[in-house]
Amino acid sequence: MLLLDYQNVLIQSLLTERFSGAPPASIDQVVSDFDGVTFHLSTPESKTKILISINVKCFKELVQYGAQEVLEREYGPYIVNPEPGYDFSVQVDLENLPAEEEAREELIMKLALLKRNAMAAPFERAFDEFTKLAEEASQYTSESAPQGVKEGGDVMAIHYREEEAIYIKASWDRVTVIFSTVFREETDRIFGKVFLQEFVDARRRVVTLQNAPQVLFRSDPPLELEGVPGLNNTGEGEISYVTFGMDHYAGDILDIHSITDQSYVVLFPRHLTPQRRYENISHIQTFRDYFHYHIKASKAYIHTRMRKRTADFLQVLNRARPENEERERKTASGRTFRVQS
Amino acid sequence: MSQSLRPYLQCCRSSLTAALAISNFASQTSERHNVPEIEAKSSPELILNPITISRNEHEKLYIEPSVNSVRISLSIKQADEIEKVLVHKFTRFLQQRAESFFILRRKPVKGYDISFLVTNYHTEHLLKHQLVEFIITFMEEVDKEVSEMKLFLNARARFVAESFLTPFD
Amino acid sequence: MASQTPAVVMDNGTGYSKLGFAGNDSPSFVFPTAIATKAGAGSAGSSGARPAVANKPSFLSGGGGGSSHLSAKRGTEDLDFFIGDEALAAGSGPGYGVNYPIRHGQIENWDYMERFWSNSIFKYLRVEPEDHYFLLTEPPLNPPENRENTAEIMFESFNCAGLYIAVQAVLALAASWTSSKVTDRSLTGTVIDSGDGVTHVIPVAEGYVIGSSIKSIPIAGRDITYFVQSLLRDRGEPDSSLKTAEKVKEEYCYVSPDIVKEFARYDREPDRLLKHTVNSPNGRSVQIDIGYERFLAPEIFFNPEIYSSDFLTPLPNVVDGVIQSSPIDVRRGLYKNIVLSGGSTLYKDFGRRLQRDIRHLVDDRIRASEARSGGARSGGLDVAVVTHKRQRHGPWFGGSLLGQTPEFRSYCHTKAEYDEIGPSIVRRFALLGGPGSS
Repeated sequence: MLLLDYQNVLIQSLLTERFSGAPPASIDQVVSDFDGVTFHLSTPESKTKILISINVKCFKELVQYGAQEVLEREYGPYIVNPEPGYDFSVQVDLENLPAEEEAREELIMKLALLKRNAMAAPFERAFDEFTKLAEEASQYTSESAPQGVKEGGDVMAIHYREEEAIYIKASWDRVTVIFSTVFREETDRIFGKVFLQEFVDARRRVVTLQNAPQVLFRSDPPLELEGVPGLNNTGEGEISYVTFGMDHYAGDILDIHSITDQSYVVLFPRHLTPQRRYENISHIQTFRDYFHYHIKASKAYIHTRMRKRTADFLQVLNRARPENEERERKTASGRTFRVQS
Repeated sequence: MSQSLRPYLQCCRSSLTAALAISNFASQTSERHNVPEIEAKSSPELILNPITISRNEHEKLYIEPSVNSVRISLSIKQADEIEKVLVHKFTRFLQQRAESFFILRRKPVKGYDISFLVTNYHTEHLLKHQLVEFIITFMEEVDKEVSEMKLFLNARARFVAESFLTPFD
Repeated sequence: MASQTPAVVMDNGTGYSKLGFAGNDSPSFVFPTAIATKAGAGSAGSSGARPAVANKPSFLSGGGGGSSHLSAKRGTEDLDFFIGDEALAAGSGPGYGVNYPIRHGQIENWDYMERFWSNSIFKYLRVEPEDHYFLLTEPPLNPPENRENTAEIMFESFNCAGLYIAVQAVLALAASWTSSKVTDRSLTGTVIDSGDGVTHVIPVAEGYVIGSSIKSIPIAGRDITYFVQSLLRDRGEPDSSLKTAEKVKEEYCYVSPDIVKEFARYDREPDRLLKHTVNSPNGRSVQIDIGYERFLAPEIFFNPEIYSSDFLTPLPNVVDGVIQSSPIDVRRGLYKNIVLSGGSTLYKDFGRRLQRDIRHLVDDRIRASEARSGGARSGGLDVAVVTHKRQRHGPWFGGSLLGQTPEFRSYCHTKAEYDEIGPSIVRRFALLGGPGSS
């Protein structure tokens, strides 16, 4: 597996099974997803009505950035009152499904993407803001632009994990997405650095990636985050910032900064056209987990190598065992002696 | 093989072969005990002068001979923090399996990355020149392995980064 | 960090892996413990530079799909694999070979297992292991080195927050607490664990397995399937594939109290003979008759001679023998709580028949010794076989049950403890669900 899925596999497979006309059964599962998201799948009223609830750590923040509207747009008729303890609920009635196969599959996918859609709001808002600012800015030259246009919108912060956050900021020529990430272990920190450096270099090195977002990475909070409250400024080297930038000539910029360990991504505008937008939002959301997944996968591979190498060493060492343990010999007079190796 | 590596290994080989001239020696302090004197250090007259063979400040071999045992400690080249972490991981991994590497010490001597302890029982039951051969092979291979792992890590990081950025195209 | 997240419960068996979150009543995923890797790539890590084989651009599963020019790069073969049902699907095509990392309950290939876990966690369960505690299972008599290797992987590769490794049989006992028949939540009992490959009879006293008394029986689910298949073949049914035999086994089989009487009943009441319709994928459908195999198939547990010529001890006798070979002070508890676990114990009336047969054995022995003692009366011995709803995934469910208790985390070893002490820390775990816990 190279890239992480955007959708929740359990929701997907469960609904696929249920939609296929399998005999109705009651469901009651609480499952986790990345980034502290919890789902509750249940059939509280009858076996044909499946309720899917989601709990997101940073839902309050997401609502501020318009999550409710996005979710309403996506799930309109299916929305029900949120289940207690959860932030948002949808319900599907198996007896009332779309008739066509395709529409059903689309619905399954949509529901499986619940987490993605809940998290998408601030990204969408930033992209809209970018379009507006870009239009305004096109009336000025870069020198004469008024301060407000130059600076762009406010920084939207999403504290999606306890110690980590995504910051999104739109300006007239780009949308900057900043991931702050923490490594709790020395090995991870060092591996992470290697990986982040490659993110930064990838665009420069590979011709086909010229259009990819520019990535910067640093371990002190980037300039874009100046004045954002609650930022850990001690710079003790535990937090990295990755910035992805998307500007309008090149497409997206992925900008990862990291002084010690925090990273940033900046997205540039070609990624901001409506057609590209949906995919890009999905994709950039997976950044943190993708990145951590690959650090772990590399460690697993290194384990594999070490196992192999250990076996090789053992083989060499076992050559030291004499082939014939019984090295006792007799002299002509019948006394035994041992051959010293 | 680089210019300085061959003489370095050659020197290690001869010094090890010489140091492994050990014989059975019962403990002087407790009856019916037979302990590796280099670990017990019960009497200075049983310990020989230690030898350090170093190729440079990072790569060195430290041999502590005694009457019935030899402790061999190795310091592995670590050019940057990636190598440091990889060496640490690898030596830890090996020491975790010290049971099957009968001459491997579970903890390295302070200041070194990995240590071996060869006692007279080992030299009596095993082929001495093969033990030396093993340590020399280990010294060669460990460097190779670490740099290969480092190469892998860089290649993987590059691949991962490019794969993530490609869908943005 | 991992303050409210549910614990991840993974029960990796020889045949199937059960994955899910603690607190649920069934695992989220059940799929074969299989991994499909690029054929020829070997278990990777061959010494020296790995050959830069220009693989065909493979489709690497995942959201955006792999990009062809990248996946052709060398050194990424270790990411190119599938697990579970996808592995079997990939293995049937060209290019991939299927491997089973667990043999006889124990992990044989750590390289494959590590990748299997990696995929389980990141693709299926979708959790960041740093945020979750993990409960894994192990077979009885698992060597401590295997535990250490497991811990090494879970803590060093995945940085999981905490780890608990429990013995499957003990978890199966805990799972039986849901049965209404069980009143005291004790961890003493005999577990009969019958999966696909082998059946184990495991005595457990106060949460600890009595290793010396474990017996295994080479008759399990797969043998029943074969037996059904051979019966179908003998009768010359139009369809006697293994798949059909398995369907018949799962849908129609039950345990009869007495085979001779059951044969007679079938002759009297022909409506007991059923028809089964097989729908083949090409749209054809065939009807086959189902007859005596309905009760004959599970009968091989009780009368193995009808199926096998080298294993002849009936299951009740094995259970009785196991308990008789256990320490005398726990035998009463072992007879009183015989717990079933695994898919091959799900036949209707399996538990009832087993209980009756064991009771006969016990009563006969008591009577004989009463006669020998000349007039002394025995107080009798209580034999009870516990059947419950969660039998199929017994160990997983037991894990889910224990993993959701508030004190579960205090029983785990955490990442910090592992870093402090090293892998040997997992050689000992405090007994979860033992006396004093809820």
